[in-house]
Amino acid sequence: MKTLNAIALMLFIAAAVAVIFFLDTPTTRAVQAKVMSVFSPFIHASATVEDSTSKVLASDIDPKELLSDNERLRLEVQKLSIINQRNEELITENAQLRDALSYKQRSPFKNLIPARVIKRSSATWWNTLIIDRGSLDGVGTDSPVVTNAGLVGKTGRLSPHMTEIILLTDEACKVSAAISNTREKGILSGERAGLEIMPDLRLRFLSRNAVIPVDGDVLSSGDGGVFPPGLKLGSVKRFENREVSGEAVIRPAVDFNHLEHVFVVSLPPEEVTSKPAP
Amino acid sequence: MLFNLVVMILMVLAFAVEEMLPAIQILQNVRLFHAAVFFFAASVSVPLPTMLLMAFFTGFVWDARYLMLPGRDSSVEQLTSANLGDAGSFSTMMSDGSMDLGFGYSILIFGVLGLLMQGIRPLFKKGRWELPVLMVGVVTTMWLMLQYLLITFLHGGFVFSSAVWYKTISTVMFAMLSAPLLFLMLHILARTTNYEIKYEGLRYRFDGR
Repeated sequence: MKTLNAIALMLFIAAAVAVIFFLDTPTTRAVQAKVMSVFSPFIHASATVEDSTSKVLASDIDPKELLSDNERLRLEVQKLSIINQRNEELITENAQLRDALSYKQRSPFKNLIPARVIKRSSATWWNTLIIDRGSLDGVGTDSPVVTNAGLVGKTGRLSPHMTEIILLTDEACKVSAAISNTREKGILSGERAGLEIMPDLRLRFLSRNAVIPVDGDVLSSGDGGVFPPGLKLGSVKRFENREVSGEAVIRPAVDFNHLEHVFVVSLPPEEVTSKPAP
Repeated sequence: MLFNLVVMILMVLAFAVEEMLPAIQILQNVRLFHAAVFFFAASVSVPLPTMLLMAFFTGFVWDARYLMLPGRDSSVEQLTSANLGDAGSFSTMMSDGSMDLGFGYSILIFGVLGLLMQGIRPLFKKGRWELPVLMVGVVTTMWLMLQYLLITFLHGGFVFSSAVWYKTISTVMFAMLSAPLLFLMLHILARTTNYEIKYEGLRYRFDGR
């Protein structure tokens, strides 16, 4: 081996070892925030393109039908169609925002930061989303993210104007959960590589032979210091007895494929384990 | 020298391009990991020191952009174990052994896979692209599997669902489809910059033959 290659190899190994063993978590988070800030213009650009494309594909104008009409009617139909499309868009958006607003009004949390989902970011084995709010908007790491349907996940990597959300369907997002009308508590998380369009969740460490009602609500219990109690997580699909403990398969409350607006819960530490949400 | 510099710049741009590529929802959010595939393709064309520099950069930025760091709720299992039923002590035992991937592990993985790609340089310089394209598929599979097995090893519980295979195969197919285009681009770049591959003392003019 040439001397230059040997030196390069030694330097590479030394640098890699230094990164692995000497970068602590706060430094790593700072590095991740910087890198995300650098790439944020590209993420925004990509989200804009995707948004425009989906809007074009969603158009309900049939050009063949329009061509069969005379010139005046065609122009009229086109004009009305465009107006109608815009109205439908506004009605949908209005409904979503009303829904979101009513959730914000009846929510027990004082500090809800509304955010728009801008991109579905799928890394190799992790399930994440990116929202358009970041550290400058008051979002912190490990904050719960909710919709009116229930818990979406928690915040991960932050940049000044963007945040990555670790979805509840990811194995990395663990929530202490309880099944309503029972005394059963467990830990809810997604399955490893739960990449399906609508993956199930797993509620582990339940008692063996526990009587679990099918379709029973699963709510966060508030233990663990991250997620407040009373957040809807899903409903029981079935119960399975494992070697040591029981395990329930949970249908998520949130439709993760059609998320457009979410709220980041910004809670001071002392409020996290307060009384359950209604 | 100019070739190496341009390849390094393209490597940086590859990450920007990757952010622009959407995940395909109907295919379980599969997407082209453009930065990784570009690194594998470029590893064949650059000398060892440049490849190692690229491996360091790719691994570092990859982990900075995509690696999930353990959050506050890593202790949730210990905290809740007191309230759990029969499985309380079991859950504590399980969570004690739980670890997460550390920042920087991708640097070593990219380094090792880049070394594998360097092994087929003689074929590549002869303009034979079949094996390099196949090798891009092989190292992409190894990269995904190494990551998955490391996660499995650290988190415990051997889960190997059909989704894992589906994601791996789809990602590898995307990688192998884009590899010839990347090789073509590197060939054109090499010709433009009069780049020569030096391998085991041989001098070869990189003219694509």
